Amino acid sequence: MRFEPTMKQAVIRRTARRLAEEKLAPIAAEMDVTGKFPLGVAQEMAALQYFGLVIPHAFGGAGLDMVSYSIVVEEISKACAAMGLCISVHNSVSAYPVYEFGNADQRRRFLTPLATGEKVGTFCLTEPNAGSDASCLETMAVRDGDGYILNGNKIFVTNGGVSGLNLIFAFVNGPGKTKEYCVFIVESEREGLEKGQNEELMGMRGNPVCPITLNDCRIPKENRLGEEGQGMKVALSTLAGGRIGIAAQALGIAQACLDVSLRYATERHQFNKPLTEFEAIQGFLADMAARIDAARLLIFRASNLRESGADHVRESAMAKLFAAETAVYSARLGLQIHGGYGYSKAYPIERFYRDAKVCEIYEGTSEIQRMVIARSLQRGRGSP
Amino acid sequence: MNIAVCIKQVPDVPAIRIDPSRMTIIREGVDSIINPLDVIALEAALQLRARHGGKITVLTMGPPQSEEALREALAYGADEVVLLTDPAFAGADTLATSHVLARALSLLAPFPDLVLCGRQTVDSDTGHVGPQVAEELSLPQVCGVSEIHLEGSSVVVKQVSEGLIYTLRVSMPALLTVSPELTLPHHCPLANLERAFTEQTVLKWSTRELGLSPDEVGLAGSATRVWRLFKPPPRRKGEVIVGSAHELVEQLMEKLEALSILDEETGSE
Repeated sequence: MRFEPTMKQAVIRRTARRLAEEKLAPIAAEMDVTGKFPLGVAQEMAALQYFGLVIPHAFGGAGLDMVSYSIVVEEISKACAAMGLCISVHNSVSAYPVYEFGNADQRRRFLTPLATGEKVGTFCLTEPNAGSDASCLETMAVRDGDGYILNGNKIFVTNGGVSGLNLIFAFVNGPGKTKEYCVFIVESEREGLEKGQNEELMGMRGNPVCPITLNDCRIPKENRLGEEGQGMKVALSTLAGGRIGIAAQALGIAQACLDVSLRYATERHQFNKPLTEFEAIQGFLADMAARIDAARLLIFRASNLRESGADHVRESAMAKLFAAETAVYSARLGLQIHGGYGYSKAYPIERFYRDAKVCEIYEGTSEIQRMVIARSLQRGRGSP
Repeated sequence: MNIAVCIKQVPDVPAIRIDPSRMTIIREGVDSIINPLDVIALEAALQLRARHGGKITVLTMGPPQSEEALREALAYGADEVVLLTDPAFAGADTLATSHVLARALSLLAPFPDLVLCGRQTVDSDTGHVGPQVAEELSLPQVCGVSEIHLEGSSVVVKQVSEGLIYTLRVSMPALLTVSPELTLPHHCPLANLERAFTEQTVLKWSTRELGLSPDEVGLAGSATRVWRLFKPPPRRKGEVIVGSAHELVEQLMEKLEALSILDEETGSE
């Protein structure tokens, strides 16, 4: 059992870190204030294959392994959580399912533009009445000649404001009263697809999250990803991988919390000594560090399992659950270490606090992750 | 135009830690990076290749794990990389290191038009290796260049030294060591990294391939011995005095007198 990254993974971490520190860290606070997504920087990242991390070279991607992918997402998120979210969602729940479930024609038409970052991708599952329960979608696709007509409302669409391609989950009427779960790739410019205003959110404000409405949006059947009825399979398989990305993204926030808190505790003096010499502060820092390390190891394990093609539903859920809660925990302790300054916008920890919270909510709430883990225990995988 | 770039893998730490018993730099548990000035040398080579064509060969002497630095160089865009590694190279000083690099360079066919090195490394900071390689190969050399232009069979370089800017024309083949002002390294595409570590090859040359005997390399081939390696004691905090020139002189004299630094002969009056 080895816990060190390979030579390649070590260099990839350094490479992503340098890019994140030079291009993203300086603009992260401004993105949070203005809510503007930096398209220019995203294009620079796209040219370096950050939008096709695990997609093979043949389709314009970087062809990385899953552990390297997690490392990149962590480093980007450490510098700028909103961009980390963009990269994570685009790669793992938009580009990857097109690679995994797309036919040759779809890979050519949709995957290459996604992997090269020419088009930003989204994953449109959530609806006003379908959140944790993804089975009660109201978006409907009606067969119409050699295509479908889509109607419905999607909300909280990450990357929505800048997206070029959208994965839309919808029901198609089956025989009798049955309904078939389906996924469609819908281009943003297609008539009948409308994007709403960007949401005013508590955190991740640099990501253009918006609602997408489908109003008699007609698409050819060639835009259906997988077969009719395969939608739930696509969703579940995609989300198992997506959770690793969100876990890595939460880990980046947690690490950022520890980094700034350690620096602050070293520099800040009270009672004639630095905060790091107070036992209570040492305890905060040590607890943050221990949980962050544990989260990272869970993420690496889940990534390795996914890379090897083994079942990783429970391990992804554990990684996502633990990393998300570690991010919130680290932000809370980190803010406490900063005291009054932590509550001020002059320091980044308050932004990390707001950014961290959503990690416990999106791509499966912590409660859903616990359900997934508990079900796998009940199926008999209780002890090693 | 063929360019060779000599690089070194160095520890990635803000401050070097020393093992006092072995008198070596502690490398365990420390990430290694390409010496930052060597990355600039490589970037300069890439820019020259983009303008004038040719091939870039990157060499390093080091332990087997230095392969990481060479694969990173491949990802940056090097055409070919050579790892000079042999247990006999251990303990080499800058002269023995330069000897191995010079021999390796002389085996490149065709011999490079330009050899580029970083001006110095962040770990040992001597700035010896570039000049010593040039001397051994009888190449003209300029140290610490901040601009390189190709003009026919010469390079015209800018060198900032002791507050003066020199523009120098050097006939090729030549060796240049580069200063940080020369350029900034580009960001490495991730696909190139993936290929560099999974598809591309690193040539490995030992004393056998280099035709060197064990007594001319490593500790045996070194002209210097490390007697003691220690951190300089921290400098005492200075005191800044402010005021007009007249006030400054008076204050300074008072302090010097108080410290009894000035004796009768060199004293104030």
